[in-house]
Amino acid sequence: MPRPGFVLDVDRSTPPMLFWRGENFSLEKLPADRTRVIYPPEPLPGIDDVDGAIRNALLNPLDMDPLPALLTPGMKLTICFDDASLSLPKMRRPDTRQRIIEAVLELAAEAGVDDVHLIAALGLHRRMHDYELRHVLGDRIFDAFHPRGLLYQHDAEDYDNLSVIGETDEGEVVEISKRVAESDLVVYANINQVAMDGGWKSITTGVASYRCLSYHHNPATLQNTRSLMDRHHSALHHSLWRMGEVLREHGPKIFTVETTLNTDTFPSPFDFLAKREWEWTAKDRATFLATQKSLDRVPVKMRRKIMHSIESPYRMTGVHAGFTPTVHEKTLENVYAQHLVDVEGQTDILTMGIPYICPYNPEGIMNPILVMCMGLGYLFNMYRGKPLVREGGVIIMTHPTYRDFHSVHHPSYIDFFEEVLPDTTDPAVMSEKWEAKYAEDEWYRHLYRTGNAYHGVHPFYAWYWGAHGQQHAGRVIIVGGDAPTVRRLGFTPASTMNDALEIAADVVGRSASITHLHVPSVLVADVK
Amino acid sequence: MRALQVRRTPVKLGMARITSALSPAAAAKVGPLELRRIDDPVRPGGPDAGWQQVHTRLSGICGSDLALVDGHASTYFEDWVSFPFVPGHEVVGELDDGTTVVLEPVLGHAARGVAPPFDGAAPGDGDDYAHLATPSADGLLEPGIQTGFCCSTGGGWAPWFWAHDSQLHRVDMPDERAVLVEPFAAGIHAALLALPTIDGVDDPIIAVLGAGTMGLATVAGLARYVPHAQIVVGARYPHQQALARAFGATVVVADRELLRAVRRAAGCHVVGGQLTSGAHVTIDAVGSNASIGDALAITRPRGRVVLLGMPADVSLDLTGLWHRETELKGAYTYGTETLADGTRPTTFQLAIDTTNHVEAERLLSATYRLDDHVDALAHAATAGRRGAVKIAFDLRNATS
Amino acid sequence: MAKKSLRRAQQLAGSAEQAVRAAATPLRNFGFPYRAPTVPRGVEVPAEITGLGAHYDTGWARRPVASFARGLITEGPIRLATRLLTNPEIVGHDRLADLARLDDPPALIFAPTHHSHFDTGLMIRAIPVVWRRDLVVAAAADYFFDKKWKAAISALSLNAIPIDREVTGRASSDLLAALIADGHSLVIYPEGGRSQDGWGQEFKGGAAYLSSKTGAPVVPVFIDGTGAIFGKGMKRPKPGRTKVVFGRPMLADDDESTRRFNARIERAVTTLGDEALTDYWTARQRAATGDNPPLTGPEFTGWRRDWALADRRKLGAAGKRRRQQRPWPDLG
Repeated sequence: MPRPGFVLDVDRSTPPMLFWRGENFSLEKLPADRTRVIYPPEPLPGIDDVDGAIRNALLNPLDMDPLPALLTPGMKLTICFDDASLSLPKMRRPDTRQRIIEAVLELAAEAGVDDVHLIAALGLHRRMHDYELRHVLGDRIFDAFHPRGLLYQHDAEDYDNLSVIGETDEGEVVEISKRVAESDLVVYANINQVAMDGGWKSITTGVASYRCLSYHHNPATLQNTRSLMDRHHSALHHSLWRMGEVLREHGPKIFTVETTLNTDTFPSPFDFLAKREWEWTAKDRATFLATQKSLDRVPVKMRRKIMHSIESPYRMTGVHAGFTPTVHEKTLENVYAQHLVDVEGQTDILTMGIPYICPYNPEGIMNPILVMCMGLGYLFNMYRGKPLVREGGVIIMTHPTYRDFHSVHHPSYIDFFEEVLPDTTDPAVMSEKWEAKYAEDEWYRHLYRTGNAYHGVHPFYAWYWGAHGQQHAGRVIIVGGDAPTVRRLGFTPASTMNDALEIAADVVGRSASITHLHVPSVLVADVK
Repeated sequence: MRALQVRRTPVKLGMARITSALSPAAAAKVGPLELRRIDDPVRPGGPDAGWQQVHTRLSGICGSDLALVDGHASTYFEDWVSFPFVPGHEVVGELDDGTTVVLEPVLGHAARGVAPPFDGAAPGDGDDYAHLATPSADGLLEPGIQTGFCCSTGGGWAPWFWAHDSQLHRVDMPDERAVLVEPFAAGIHAALLALPTIDGVDDPIIAVLGAGTMGLATVAGLARYVPHAQIVVGARYPHQQALARAFGATVVVADRELLRAVRRAAGCHVVGGQLTSGAHVTIDAVGSNASIGDALAITRPRGRVVLLGMPADVSLDLTGLWHRETELKGAYTYGTETLADGTRPTTFQLAIDTTNHVEAERLLSATYRLDDHVDALAHAATAGRRGAVKIAFDLRNATS
Repeated sequence: MAKKSLRRAQQLAGSAEQAVRAAATPLRNFGFPYRAPTVPRGVEVPAEITGLGAHYDTGWARRPVASFARGLITEGPIRLATRLLTNPEIVGHDRLADLARLDDPPALIFAPTHHSHFDTGLMIRAIPVVWRRDLVVAAAADYFFDKKWKAAISALSLNAIPIDREVTGRASSDLLAALIADGHSLVIYPEGGRSQDGWGQEFKGGAAYLSSKTGAPVVPVFIDGTGAIFGKGMKRPKPGRTKVVFGRPMLADDDESTRRFNARIERAVTTLGDEALTDYWTARQRAATGDNPPLTGPEFTGWRRDWALADRRKLGAAGKRRRQQRPWPDLG
């Protein structure tokens, strides 16, 4: 039986804590008697008969007719699926999306549906490489649909193939893929790794236009998103749900299939990462030392390759299908069951290790902007109720924060770092002054539409993701980062954890309380 | 008198070149440049030929001087200079009557008693350099493209030297500003070479690689005489970036960010490390293999690349130049310029005007006595890294 | 040079023969009982139970030492030979991933098509390693177990179990059922033997029967290309490429008869065959309407059947090799 998450008070016999440092990790001794560490719950058991569970969900959906009853010969069926940003790290084959889509296709074949399109719901993310599509969908689906052009990736800039569904009460225009809009039935195959994903967000961001996205991906909305993991207190999700209402009234019929994963993230030999330090066996310690030392000694490119080649042995913990909001409520229950940890009160200093990966660099480089996005956007937002750190407190992150960019995936990030960040780090100012230029740049548009680049405006969105955290924190310190790069992000560099705590003392005093967010794996702190 | 002199000793040149890889100071020590007592130069013409004795006040160290003393200069100049010579061509000095003069170093037609190509020609004008490479009719003036490379006249790295009336510009400004007039003239000349290419273009983009003295002078010249252009500067060091901004550059970025900055300005694509469009004119004020390659990559088809820094021996793939029909243009001398409004002032008039306008003395970072020439050359060779721009010799208190 | 050594070898062989003949000559004088008796005319000798064929006891081949030796043979020579001769592309393992992940994966019955002797080696190579360890193969008793040495080799290297294809003997099916209950997975060719003419044959009920009896899921498998490499009647193999497609594990429904289940297995393999030659979606669509091209080939006989076979093979993995080797451009 998996143990639930818990909060540990650090005393003098507590071993040093594991921190991510990009493609490597370190052990940091945290001060006794004023530090607590939040450990995530252990992975929940998965469903054994995954295919059976999916089929069962399709045949017994929530608030909708069973899928076979919705399928008729001659209809237009469109299947959308989450892109490579889920799951992180990528899961072992077969991917959940492949299982869902094969189950749907088998029913569709039985019903005699001929007109089927498969669309990767990228939003403004980069197009997936063919091998990634194969990983997500499996060879069978890829080989059957890709050569005929029936499997393709959403293009938020192809205005000939986008159509307006309607407008919300607040004047937000809902504009989505024309094929999706004109389908008789849309099936969405989702993976819900964190509570932020899924629900109406799937369609209203995944197959939406840039214009449609800009209504909620902006500084004002994201500063009022408290937090991303709690949709009832998230301005972003409120906007998405308003759009969802428009979709329900005027849009195509949507049959959502949402799945949840447990947190069994790292296979052997990296499985020690998810263990509690005092439970490390001699073998775990030897593995840690060997891994850390050898990662230190190989070039960063190879380190990256090693880390990105990890495939997670996730297990599926639940699958629900049917009417989007109903399904999503069930999904959230499952997600929270895996992630929630009760935490008493806020802290002065929040520490966290930043890993080698975030949703915007699968197979890529964790560039400085993504470090900010991961720390202040994702990890900071892993709360429900109140942020883990008090307003004006200090956030300490560990990451090498090298000035290194993936020129194919992140072309506009480079310019953002070179042109926008020296000018301002304030999301509101940059949105006003620079966003339009990046959104309309022909080259970025070209690379997004035909290459494997994120949309030109994406670095802004990544930055806005951290807007709430940036506003909330009194100071952000990065331990072990490249100093000029860290400064350009508007943060303070420190060479060791002790230095960082000294610097933090200037802001929150000598006896400030410290909380360490122990990742991996994912957790959501329910702060009372 | 005691002066810094360069002799033609190939062994020393070779040693200097090798040593320069280790340390510029060591190269200056083993190199062909030595401080020694030399014979006073003889007046290089008749008493009425217009030669004057100029007492050096400040004399700058230029990139071409450095290339010479650490053995990097091209053998091209072998036949255009006469050994042994006293270097120094960025000079502000004083005539016997006490007037402050700035030297226009080219030993032109008037100095050599040759008919000028047109009336009012500056020393560097014309389309035949024959007079530069042959001794004058009376044999008193040996070959040499300019003062500082000619054994007859002496040069600025000495307490005094000979200069012809045609080379002298009387100025009324502080010495520290005046010593920068010559480099500014070179920079402004390069800046004005952009004009023909951007004629009739609405919003031209001019990229400048490098922001040493020359690059900054170019930026100042562009800002003053090509005011409607967007000036994008790639500068390696923070103080250079700050100065470039102060001199009127539109966008200033680190050198490695220049390609993307130009791309942003032009709104074009990048294909294989080359911009599909780019700057209308790129002015390379560095003159290395890499900088010329970069300049070609960021210049739009049928644009112009101006080489301001002295390139010496480079190895380049010119396929792009051929394909994009890029114009490669050298920029060495000063002469008579044609401004956008059609007026034809001399480059030095513009340089004097510009140095006054931008208060160019802020570029002069340090001065040294001749005795400390090793330190001075080392400082000049590492100027950017050490937060400096222009290094000069101060001979105001020198004894000859 | 070569001729010279050949001649020398011949001479050596000649002298050896002479020596043996010379040594054997005295034995000629020893008749019965030193030799086997001859049978008088008109007398019928009752067939003795030989312990060969379906009665061969393969128990020894599942003892630890033999298993270990088989592990070496499987991962060594068989793997190498399979790689060299058949160069397989293996797809569909993901359909078994759920079962493979379990701590104690259940025994499976693999039901592949059968065109060549290479099929068994190929299957051993292609089956995921968790099942490969405890794999037994149902092999024709009359072919693989008719001689002691053949039986020993089959049992040791393939872990073959003799199965009588003429009569559904209780003995062999009980043994197989017991082995499955014991955790062994089984490869059984439902067609009962190699293809006669390159087209498939109707499925016999063995796999379905064993599955119903033991509760082990049947995994339909389609093997493409081995027929062209070493089909029945070929004197020597022509190395080429093959493709092995695994299907989703199947269980008989509660009220499904063995016959109907067998038909369903055959349809599943047929669909896999279509998937291997076209693509997943086409195969699925045709499966839904029952339009998958049958493995047993077209109804008509004679040359048109061969003609159709050539067309079909062009689509498959083996066809690729031949197209690549064609010295002249394909003019249609």
